[in-house]
Amino acid sequence: MELGLFLGCNTPAIRPDVERAIRLTMPKLGVDLIDLEGYVCCPAFGTFPSTDEDSHLAVSGWNLSLAEQKGLDLLVECGSCYSSLRVGRELILHDEKKRARVNELLQPVGRTVEGKSKVRHITDVLYNDVGVEKISKSIDKPLDGLHAVVQYPCHTLFPSELVGFDSPPARPRIMRELVEALGAKVDSFSREYQCCGGAGGFHGTSAAEARGFAQTKFDAIKSETQADFMVVSCITCLMFLDNVQKELSEGNGKYDIPVFDYNQILALCMGFDPKQVAPICTVSRDRILERF
Amino acid sequence: MTDLATANKNLWRDVFDSEDLRYCFNCSTCVSGCPASNANPPLLIRNLARMVILGLEDELLEQDTPWTCVTCSRCEEFCPMNVKPFELCLAIRKWQSRNDETRIPPSIVEIYSRGYTQAVERNTEQRKALGLPEKLSAISEYPELLEKFRKMLMQTQVISKNAYMFEGV
Ligand code: SF4
Ligand code: SF4
Repeated sequence: MELGLFLGCNTPAIRPDVERAIRLTMPKLGVDLIDLEGYVCCPAFGTFPSTDEDSHLAVSGWNLSLAEQKGLDLLVECGSCYSSLRVGRELILHDEKKRARVNELLQPVGRTVEGKSKVRHITDVLYNDVGVEKISKSIDKPLDGLHAVVQYPCHTLFPSELVGFDSPPARPRIMRELVEALGAKVDSFSREYQCCGGAGGFHGTSAAEARGFAQTKFDAIKSETQADFMVVSCITCLMFLDNVQKELSEGNGKYDIPVFDYNQILALCMGFDPKQVAPICTVSRDRILERF
Repeated sequence: MTDLATANKNLWRDVFDSEDLRYCFNCSTCVSGCPASNANPPLLIRNLARMVILGLEDELLEQDTPWTCVTCSRCEEFCPMNVKPFELCLAIRKWQSRNDETRIPPSIVEIYSRGYTQAVERNTEQRKALGLPEKLSAISEYPELLEKFRKMLMQTQVISKNAYMFEGV
């Protein structure tokens, strides 16, 4: 299958090793990725969707029209991009007035949009289109003997009616099964479904409280699991849960659980070069990388 | 003390024109699962819903807490009355942006100028080292498209009204 690759901004700008991992692993699983020339900010919820509906629609419409022009559905890793694009598509597809307005805004610049292109999260495609069996067969360096914990991207769970693909949404299992397909044991813990807390203005306005919120998750991981590493599938979860551990370690206690995006750990299991697919991190990944 | 006599009873229509808002019964489900309810000051979406329903315009305009929302949509999923608290949160931000230009997120000026909040176009060395195409299909690579994108944004309501913010970027 072919999908339009919507990278967003954080991945190519700050964690391009995740982009490398996605570009290497997906075609190996039969998912070819097509770039979208001229894509812009998703728009992130804190930008146009917090300004007015007009500009929100215009920017969503811009991005969706790029995929629509190529007749492609979109593949997205970033949780915020995924959710924002799905909300935008919903408005354009199902609300006639809004569709008319967005086309009025796009028309002078020679674009149109109907909302035909679907917006897919990468874990949805991996689980529902590729399937765990095919993933297991695609790897030659399984994670046997290792314990993992997973972090679900909130934007892929809620509101389930709009963004969901796991069932039931409040008891998600896709991330777990995807990691188990690589041979690791996934340990449960009491704060598994807690948000990372890294998006929006929470950390920016209340750094100490956001740190404390994340600490409850890491303390639960430390006391309840044997986790060797953590797997996420959202660029915000990745950056925040990795970086916040350094901040936490400046207080009492040691927080040093390596965090990987799913496609990074998949790429490692497929035998791709760790220096290309997983070199950028705050908490050292050496303990895991030396296996590969 | 809050004086309800001076309240704007039609505020809810202006902020979040949804009948569902009236069904909010203060159960606090939206607060108990909210990551930003841990912020300082806490985001209490239940209280914001009350302010909108009661018409407390001045108080609502002063609220910074809607901006701490992490957009996780837990409240949206679990509100038993389908009030759509997350949409309400964004609606309050939009209402504030309409009524107080200092609320307009500065990030939209960055997006107007280069398409993103992050400098995606500048990361060429690192991309090369990772074996990635140095140039991304980002809009900054297509000046003609960027011009069109800006032109489109200039027609939208809040931006055209505050065009001075975008001059010379
Ligand atoms: S969960 Fe819904 S009904 Fe309950 S307080 Fe929040 S908005 Fe109101
Ligand atoms: S969407 Fe915002 S208000 Fe709702 S639970 Fe998440 S952080 Fe809180």
